[in-house]
Formats: sequence, C-alpha cells, structure tokens
Amino acid sequence: MTNTYITNATWALTGEKIDLRMGHGDEPVSIYRNGIALPGINQVTPAGEMQVPAGARTIDATGKILMPALFDLHTTISIDGHSKRECIYRAGQAANRGGVWGMLVMPSSGFIFDNTATLDSFDEAVSQRSFATMVPAGCITEGMKGEQQAPYNTLAARGVTILSDSGNMPASLLMLHRAMKYAAEMDLTFAIRGDVPCLSRNTYMHPSSTSYILGLHGTPPCAEEIGIETIIRLAKDAGVSLHVQTVSTAEGVEIIRRAKAAGMKGLTAEVALHHLLYTHEDVGDYNTTFKTTPPLRERTDCEALLAGVKDGTIDCIVTDHTPCLPFAKKQDFVSAPQGMVGLDTFLPALYTHLVKPGKLNWADVVRACSSAPVKIVNPYDREEDVPVVAPLLLFAPEEQQVVTCESLCCGTTNNPMLNSTLYGGVTLPINR
Amino acid sequence: MPTINKADIERALDAWADHLLQGWAARGSAQLGIVGIVSHGDILAQRLVKKLETAGCQAEYGAIDITLYRDDLDLRGKRPALRSSHLPFSTDDMHLVLVDDVLSTGRTARAALEVLWEYGRPARVEMHCLTDRGGRQLPIQPDYVAFDLTTASTDTVKVSLQELDGKEEIIY
Amino acid sequence: MNPRKDLITINSLSDEDIHTILQSTSAMKDIFTKSVKKVPALKGKSVLTLFYEPSTRTRSSFEVAAHRLSADVTTFTVSTSSVVKGESVHDTIDTLMSMKMDYIIVRHKNSGIPAVIARHCKAAVINAGDGSHAHPSQAFLDAFTIKEKYGEVAGRRVVIIGDILHSRVARSTSTILRRLGAEVAYMGPGPLVPPQQHTGIPRFTNWNQIFEWKPDVIYLLRVQNERIDTPFFPSADYHAAFGVTEERLRRIDDLNLSIMHPGPVNRGVEICDAAMNYRNCLINNQVENGIAARMSILYHLTPQTQSHD
Repeated sequence: MTNTYITNATWALTGEKIDLRMGHGDEPVSIYRNGIALPGINQVTPAGEMQVPAGARTIDATGKILMPALFDLHTTISIDGHSKRECIYRAGQAANRGGVWGMLVMPSSGFIFDNTATLDSFDEAVSQRSFATMVPAGCITEGMKGEQQAPYNTLAARGVTILSDSGNMPASLLMLHRAMKYAAEMDLTFAIRGDVPCLSRNTYMHPSSTSYILGLHGTPPCAEEIGIETIIRLAKDAGVSLHVQTVSTAEGVEIIRRAKAAGMKGLTAEVALHHLLYTHEDVGDYNTTFKTTPPLRERTDCEALLAGVKDGTIDCIVTDHTPCLPFAKKQDFVSAPQGMVGLDTFLPALYTHLVKPGKLNWADVVRACSSAPVKIVNPYDREEDVPVVAPLLLFAPEEQQVVTCESLCCGTTNNPMLNSTLYGGVTLPINR
Repeated sequence: MPTINKADIERALDAWADHLLQGWAARGSAQLGIVGIVSHGDILAQRLVKKLETAGCQAEYGAIDITLYRDDLDLRGKRPALRSSHLPFSTDDMHLVLVDDVLSTGRTARAALEVLWEYGRPARVEMHCLTDRGGRQLPIQPDYVAFDLTTASTDTVKVSLQELDGKEEIIY
Repeated sequence: MNPRKDLITINSLSDEDIHTILQSTSAMKDIFTKSVKKVPALKGKSVLTLFYEPSTRTRSSFEVAAHRLSADVTTFTVSTSSVVKGESVHDTIDTLMSMKMDYIIVRHKNSGIPAVIARHCKAAVINAGDGSHAHPSQAFLDAFTIKEKYGEVAGRRVVIIGDILHSRVARSTSTILRRLGAEVAYMGPGPLVPPQQHTGIPRFTNWNQIFEWKPDVIYLLRVQNERIDTPFFPSADYHAAFGVTEERLRRIDDLNLSIMHPGPVNRGVEICDAAMNYRNCLINNQVENGIAARMSILYHLTPQTQSHD
C-alpha cells in the first residue's frame, strides 16, 4: 500500500490566510501569511512569514483549510453485479471526493477476507485501481457464517490488524470467547456491533411512533445494549482489544463510558454519521434510504452519541458506507437491503451538519475521523516497511454543492443527502 | 334570462297531478307507482304522490339514483357522489311513471329504464318531466311535459326546488 | 371526492374522501335489495385479486363487490413457495402491467408492498391488508357498521382488544374511527400492545378499566398465532384474561354494548360461543357491509389505464 497523494516534489501553498487544523485544539495552530512549504511527504514547515522556496510549485489556498485527510473505519465496498475491480475503483473515487484517504474495508460478498488468496488479489486490485488506501478487515469466522473461527495467524501474517464479520455477532458466545482468547496473543482487534440476534431478528426499524404507523417490527435498543455489554465483558476476560461498531443508543454510549472509566484497555467505539443526524422520523413513508442496521433512533440518542464523541467515549465517526442498488432499494421496506452510502459526501456532510452549526469543532473532526481511526488500524506499508501517514487536504468551506445522482462516484445513489446542498469543496491531494 | 316562478310551478304540478289521475282512472286495474330520479325528480314525485293521495289515489313512491348506470362514468375524471335509492316494492306488473326535472339528451331516462328493470318487470312505464329543453340524442320521447322550453345546447336550465335549494324557480 | 388512483392507507385520505366513500357505501347497500343485485358501473373493467397471503373471506368479499359492479374478476394465485423476497413483486408488477388490469387488489405479509405496486403501475391498487400496516377496506366497513348502528360515529367509544402490535385492522380501524370523531382505546397482553406514546391511543390492561370507561363497542381482534413466530401465551390463559367470557358477556349485555370482530373468530379464545348469538353482536353486519364498502371503494378509485395505450 503506497501513498499516492503527494510526490516528493516541493510544494508551496500560497494565500493571505490559510487555516491549519491539525487536531491540536479548536484554534488554528498558526495562520501563515505567505504560505506553507511542503518539502516532502506530508510535512509542514511552520515558517511564519517564510519565503516560498525557490523552484517550489505554488497552490493558491486563500481562505481554505489545510488539514489531514480522513480515514473511514467502516466501509463496505461490494456492489451487487459489479466486478471486484469496479467496486474498488468506485469506492476509491468516492473516498477521494469526500476527503477520505483510507478506509477499513469490511468483508462482504466477493471480499471474504478469510484467506491469503483473497487478500492478495484484493491488495493487487487496490494498488492498480484505487485512489485511496484500503485496509481489509479479516473475517472473525470462515465465510462470515458465524460458526468456524477464521485462520487468525495466517491473516495476521498477511498484515490484518482488525477482525470483523462486518459487524455481525457470531452465533455462539463460546466460539467468540475462544476466538478472542486465540487472537489476543496476535495483537488483533475485534470489531463487532453490539447485538442479540434473537431479539433483533425480523425487525426493521426503531420501535417508535413511526414503526407503529408503518406496521414494522421494532429493534429494541436493549438488544444492542446487551450485545455491547456482552462483547465488552468477553473482550475484557479474553484480554483482547475491542472496537465497538456503530453504537446507536444513548445507553450504549453510557455502557462504553462506564467500561472506559473502569480502566478497560484496548476499548474503542465508533458511531456512524447518520446516527448523529437522523431519527426514525426520517423513515417517513417507507423511505428505504433510511433503512439502516442498527436503525435510526430518537433525537435524544443522536444527542447522547454526539456528547460521546465530544468527550471521547466514542473514538470515531464512520460512514458505514453500504452501496445498495436502486432496484434493491425500490423494493418494499421489509425486503429492501439496509444501509446508506456516505463516502462521496463525508467531509462536506461533517462540516455542513456538525461543524458549521457548532456541534463539533475541527479538532473533534480531525480526532474522530482521522487520527483516532488511523491509530486503531495502524495502516502499514509492507513494501516500504513504514507506517502509512495521512496526507493533507485542502477544504474550501465556502464552496457549495448540490448532491445529485450524477455527482456521486460510489456507484449507487442510496445517499441520504441526495438533492440537498452541502458546504465545502475538497481538494485531495492538495496538488490535484 | 326567462324565469318560471313558484306560482307557475305550483299550477303546473296541479295540472300534472290531474293528468295522472285521469290516466289512472281510465286504466283501472294496474297499480300506480311514481318513481323520481334523484336529486330533483324524487322531490317532484313526492309532491305528485301527495296530491294524488289528496285526490283519493294511492300511488307507490320510489326514488332512484341512476349514477351507477350512467354511460359517461369513464369520461369524467371524478366519480359523482352516490345517493340512496329507495324503491320499496317490486315493479312487476306495475304502471310506473318516471319523473325528472329536466329532459334533454334522453341518456338519464335510458339509464333509469335500466334501473327499473332490475327491480322487476313493469307492465308499462311512462316518462314525465317538469321541463323538456330538447337536444335528444336517443329515441326517447316524454309522455308528459309541464314546460316545453326552447333552448340552445349552450344554454343552462336551472331548476330550483324549495326542499333542496331553498327557493322555487326555473331559470333558462 | 377528487380523483384518486389507489387506496393504501386511511391516513392518505382526506376527510372528504372518507365521508364520500362512507356515504356511497350506503347507496351500494341499496343495491342488495334489488332482485338483480348488480349495477353496470364497472362494466368491461378488469379487477385482479393478488393475494400473497391466504384469506378466503376478504378475497371473496372483494370478488363479490367487483361482480356486483359488473367488473370482470381474475384471481391471481401466488403459491407462497414461489415467492422469493420482494423481487418477485417487481416481476409480478411487470406481468400485471401487460395484462392491462384496471384494478389490483393486493394482500401481502410485508408492510408497504401495496404502495410499491401502486407506484409502479397504472392500475388502481387497493390494499387488502399488508403486514401489520393497514387494512383500509376493513376500516371502512367497521366505520360504516358503527354508523349504521348508532347513526353517527362521532362521540362513540370503541375499545379494540387483542394483538394490537401485529394488527393492521387495529391501526386502520382506530385511525378512521378517530378521524370521524370517535374515541378509541386499546387493550391486550403487555407484549402485544405498543405504548401510548407510540400509538397516541390510551391503553387498558383489564376488563374492569374497560367497563369503567363506558365504551359503546367492544371490538375483538383475532389472535393470530400464524403471525407470531413464537407463541406469546397459552390460548386458554388469553381467554380468561382478555376474551369475552360468558360472565363478561352478561355484563356487556347489561350495559347494552355492541360486539364486533373482523373474523374469522377463534371461539373459546377471544370470544365465547354464546357471544356469537348475542343480540348486539354485529359480526354478520360487518360481513354484509364489507361488500358494500368494497363496492364503494372500487367505484370511487380512478385507474389511470384509460388515458394511456
């Protein structure tokens, strides 16, 4: 996995006022009057009123924000009926548009990362086709069937650091407990969504006034909460690192907060952007775009999740990008697949809906969407034998875009922000 | 626009009832039924039945809504509201008088005949109407007309009756 | 009533629509007194019944209604084994479009299917029950039955008893009755009645509360074990706690309350045998009114099949 963003040439950003947001607090570290020189990969030379180096190529960055690009910890790239190479290309292009330089790719149909061959062919396709770094998450169980443990030693030797069955809990807690103990010694992290499958089976949305009106059976919040409590206790007992995926309830945040306060090591958690923004009311009259797992819940849950991001209980904000074909989403709500896409619009959406209204500051975004996920995944360039570091991007907060089907690169249109206006233009890499 | 007033209508109804009485007396045996087409013919029919009763003639009263038998239901975007029909007797062997306020194309009368046959097989059916504005599109002729109006197809004929409209007049 | 292609839920109707359909139901019932119980209103029109869930009663009721309006009725048999997820619904829609149907009456176990079909075809689509979502024709026949019995729906109190959670009848009937000015309450076993903050409808837990509330109508739902994957309770226990027992029937009789049920009834579960012959048992009226209400619905919908081809 090589970083394809910035070559070793010397670049200079020029402009009257450039904000530098590197995640050290809400205030910009410094405002450079004349420019920033970038002598090498991803290095900023703090230079105050420095001179543009001789021979440097300049980029006008007036009024723009310079910040590290984002890393998405939860992406599903497979699109039914598309070749693997096409899926990789689409996701990479969409990520690039949304300010995302790298992602943890969940295993999914066509990308069952439970063996070396699949990982090899994936890495090869990524190196040929992708604009973005793609780190595969290994399967917890063979074929993600929830039964037989995958070969962790083999996967770890291939560079896998995170194990996930794309969020799903294995059927047997005994199996999971043993798997965790087995993986603990290989320094692997389990990424699981809290769930009790027998409580959430045949349910389609949050139990609410909307689910009553639509006659859709509700997924009780306690299914998720019991699940979170369960995986935390199993991981603690096994001594393995655990990343709790897509927390959606206020009580879920509280359980994680308590565990962290009790000093549990290696525990991290994520929230999907849509769980910070939307509620069951957005499902409206069977709008299948808003069918997600876990479901969109109450406004009070959105607020508790946001507070969790602010205080660090929730480490990361993710897209939970899940492409679904228009045909599939046009079915009835029960039959339609769950999931939204969000890579194309990730940074503009974060800015428009969270930073601009003052709910999060840039430091929160850089931490939750760049530095924290990178720390969890530890992307490593095996060819160059160095850790992969986030490149920088330029963000133009005044730019506006209307999200249309044509403007989405990810291959499907199940984006909840379709036909809405988002603020912010992304330039990634900065010399694009 | 020419107007026929309340007094004119009252006189016409008396004459109409007389005509019915004579016909009834002349024919003797068959049971008489006065069937109005909603929503103005039924009012006229009620009044006629009352006048006949005063004169000693017991006639059955019925009201039919012909909406479901219209031949133009598909041509309208909106389905007309339905009103209750009320025909509490078998029409078998009856002498029936269909009563309507305005006779024009004859399409309503055609539909009304279809309705009547679904209640039995009447011995005879007459068509009586308050006004005949002409413009027939079917081989249907009235047996009795109170007011013969000369109108163009673009004219409107508006019959108002006290019970439904709060006033009594015919404007054409 | 403004031209409307489909009937999917009561919520989607205006007050005027509801009143018009109810008023015409009465006119349709007049037809049953003729020696020829048929009118030519839908002569030459084709009606398709598309039932993915077996229901002889509702299907027959719609078929009789369509026949009485002189429509041609086709029964589309969907063997449950060939139904694979929602995809087959899309395929079926294409088939139906080619058959140039004017009206499609659909029942499906998934909430929301009739709306999907309605969006994709020109025929008028009538929801004959989808999952736990809606059963609007049942709502109309229920409202009409109460109106016929009491003169007005407004001001009446109706308690709906049973498995509210899985019941499309409870949702649609409570909606139409409240729109018409009635008060509705729910009663049933804890796991089968959603909380009041979701439904907006007060919830009772026992018969004493019901009798204190002084309802006019006791509306019993069928205990549908086939719709619950794991049975929640033993049926004898349900009868003792929530059913109309002989003892409760005496109280109902004393208070002169009416009993309704969408059918088919489980004797000995939600209702005792004697209650079926109770003087204020309106179940048979509901069946008869069902045909008239469905005729009125068929009559008032306007397919868009005319303006095309």
